[in-house]
Amino acid sequence: MTLAPEKKTKKPRKLSMKARYEALTRGLDWEPSYVTKEEMFPHLEYEGIKIHDWAAWEDPFRLTIDAYTKYQAEKDRRLYAVLDGFAQGQGHLNLTDAGYLNAMKLFLQGVTPLEYAAHRNFAYLARHFAGPGPRFAALCQSIDEIRHMQTEVHTLSNYNKYYSGLHNWPENHDRMWYLSVPKSFFDDALSCGPFEFLIAIGFSFEYLLTNLLFVPFMSGASFNGDLPTMTFGFSAQSDESRHMTLGLEAIKFLLEQDEDNVPIVQAWLDKWFWRAYRVTALVSQMLDYMLPRKVMSWKESFELYFEEQMLKGLFEDLAFYGITPPRHVADAVQEKDVLSHQVYWILYQFSFAAGFTTTMPTPEHQQWLSQAYPDTFDTHFKPLWDKEARNIASGGRHFTRGLPQLCQVCQIPMAFTEPGDPTTLCQRESEFEGEIYHTCSNGCQWIFEREPEKYRQAWLPVHQIYQGNCGGPSVPEVLEWYHLQDGDAGEYLGSRDHTNWLTWQGEAAAETASHENKAGA
Amino acid sequence: MQYELKTQVIEPQRHTFTHVAKRFGDKPASRYLEGSIDVQPTEHFHYRPTWDPTKEIYDESFSVFRLADPYSYLDPRQYYYAPYVTARSGHHDAFGTSLEYIENRGLLGRLPDGWSAVLGELVVPLRHLESAGQLILCGMARFGYGATITQAAAYSAFDRVGNAQMISRVGIALGGGTTETLTAAKDHWMGDESLQGLRRLAEETIVEADWGVALIQLDALDQLVYDLLWSHLDDAAVTGGAPAYSLIAQHMTNWYTDNRTWIDALYAAWRADPELGAHNADLLAEHGRNAVDTALAALTPFAQRLDARLDAGALERVAATAAASLATFAADQA
Ligand SMILES: [Fe+2]
Ligand SMILES: [Fe+2]
Ligand SMILES: [Zn+2]
Repeated sequence: MTLAPEKKTKKPRKLSMKARYEALTRGLDWEPSYVTKEEMFPHLEYEGIKIHDWAAWEDPFRLTIDAYTKYQAEKDRRLYAVLDGFAQGQGHLNLTDAGYLNAMKLFLQGVTPLEYAAHRNFAYLARHFAGPGPRFAALCQSIDEIRHMQTEVHTLSNYNKYYSGLHNWPENHDRMWYLSVPKSFFDDALSCGPFEFLIAIGFSFEYLLTNLLFVPFMSGASFNGDLPTMTFGFSAQSDESRHMTLGLEAIKFLLEQDEDNVPIVQAWLDKWFWRAYRVTALVSQMLDYMLPRKVMSWKESFELYFEEQMLKGLFEDLAFYGITPPRHVADAVQEKDVLSHQVYWILYQFSFAAGFTTTMPTPEHQQWLSQAYPDTFDTHFKPLWDKEARNIASGGRHFTRGLPQLCQVCQIPMAFTEPGDPTTLCQRESEFEGEIYHTCSNGCQWIFEREPEKYRQAWLPVHQIYQGNCGGPSVPEVLEWYHLQDGDAGEYLGSRDHTNWLTWQGEAAAETASHENKAGA
Repeated sequence: MQYELKTQVIEPQRHTFTHVAKRFGDKPASRYLEGSIDVQPTEHFHYRPTWDPTKEIYDESFSVFRLADPYSYLDPRQYYYAPYVTARSGHHDAFGTSLEYIENRGLLGRLPDGWSAVLGELVVPLRHLESAGQLILCGMARFGYGATITQAAAYSAFDRVGNAQMISRVGIALGGGTTETLTAAKDHWMGDESLQGLRRLAEETIVEADWGVALIQLDALDQLVYDLLWSHLDDAAVTGGAPAYSLIAQHMTNWYTDNRTWIDALYAAWRADPELGAHNADLLAEHGRNAVDTALAALTPFAQRLDARLDAGALERVAATAAASLATFAADQA
């Protein structure tokens, strides 16, 4: 059989880039007629959000699958080349100090699982939104978040071979007391409907607080010789800028669809700002206490990434829609002078039951802290460390053996102080169906009282320990149940990582010397 | 950043993560395993989903199909994100090259009339079926249990978007660079009698709440559709003077073959489960039989239309594939 001759066809009119993208992506939806629309998208009504026109969603990126896969494959090729080179060259010996890895332990145990959870629930949005535009954006983000989870694991995999605390991160995340802070935060979002999740994670987490959360870790890496994490951070940046744009598009879309959406979105913003901000409490202490070589203080970071970029920039734009800055934002601003110190003091005392180690800040470190926090460090926190220095001198590094009371909402031990008064402990109580619930702040109390039937469900680690649900009621039983290995927890000085580090650095120095001798000979 | 290369030999403290070592021993593990095994949380969920308080956030009871150990399932392709996007980048590149060749040689314009009708009326509308697959697999990526299963589902969902775009690009090319063919194809999808069985099945599968059952329904339909359009018709295209069709078909078949591997492995894992294997095999037989019967019924008017256009023995082929497919779902398969 022969091929038909080429027919004379009119020269095709090329579609514009935009029209072509729409043709490839938008026309795919249809009105179902064998099932109802409510059966197909059953989760869209109950949160009270009204969407009149899903097609009004603007895709900011107009990525087609061929372009996406090509770009992402190229980024991964470069990232994994760096990871391979690092592993082959024993790059971990170029860190500023093994103590730096405490920041990465916290990251792998506390943040990486959130990437994973984001992957799963963006898939939920990709299933349950009734518009192809936001569905596809959500699906892209869903698989981006697998990428983040995996590239983080692969980045830290080499450190795991030589250092403690990284080896059991998924179970840590499910079980350990301080990790219930990020876990309960994300579980809170996972248990929401699709629109609240979009505001909680897509907007509040990925836009409002993303720089405050991620940039400190990534800059910490670059200041402390952690080339793989820094490379990972750069590599994730273009994904994150897509996610930020999605978050911003999401909130504008909801606000523009119906005026009735405005108060609902405002309440979600109020809630999720405080919820996510409380998770960054862990970041604050990392920045001020865990990094051997400092990047900037939490206070500076908060001022730059939150006050400047978000309060000034973003909320001025959102005012157009009738949106005001989050409730309780003033408390967060006031707290910037004390937050990191209070959180690290908790972790310092309880690190015998953690997947990282802590140590007393050196005199030089304390000097930096007092310069970074002229109004608070010397008056309120230096005395604690002076006392601890005396404890250590007499052979008694301080660990608290009792169990702290946790905030019912954020699950951080109740050790925060009243806004503007660093000497008075802040404790809030609420009653619900005859029971008293404790919260750490005005923000957490407000969140609790808005949805008490939700927060009463919280799996509070300390309560669970008392009830014997964590291997048994005693501390050794709990530690056993955590599957901690020798070197994972406790004091950094003299720990397994510290001792190994000194040995390896000694060997490295000897080796360099012998190379120099050979070169000289 | 500069760093000094060290040649010093240091004994590692361990070779992989504890949870990976627990299953595979403390030896260096692949990136697939380190990035997949046990990464889904399994205990101490804080709150019940507001959309279904009877369930946990991740809950095995979202499907009747269960594994005693969810990580007894591994994707044979070992796809974690990096190899996945790398493979798909190559796939779409290759498709783009073929389509460019087709367009440069004007091969779509030179299709015999029957072929061009089949492509425009029956094949291009299936971009909507791909879109249904996307929704179904996104549901599985969220509600499935165990990271190896949901990861494979998420990539497959993403693939469906890619498939829909490949078909759409063919549609745009067929429409001479316009959206005319796509618009007409959507009208067919909505109203043409030959496609209503498929559309009904697509809608009913989207609303199937059990992700395992939904997967089987989608797969049973894929087995018939992909074989008919991209294998059987590919042979006909080669002898029927439709090289453009054949050039497209190879890419669809390549994807289908790749996609089969993770699904077949999942069926195998369900059957091989030491505790639930027999029960799973029964469920597979039962749901597989329903799914194949339904898919065959849905596809019959489609195949009849195809035969009216091309006389390609479509109806016979679909019936034969359905019989073979029934046998693979039957309980005695190991
Ligand atoms: Fe991420
Ligand atoms: Fe993100
Ligand atoms: Zn709190």
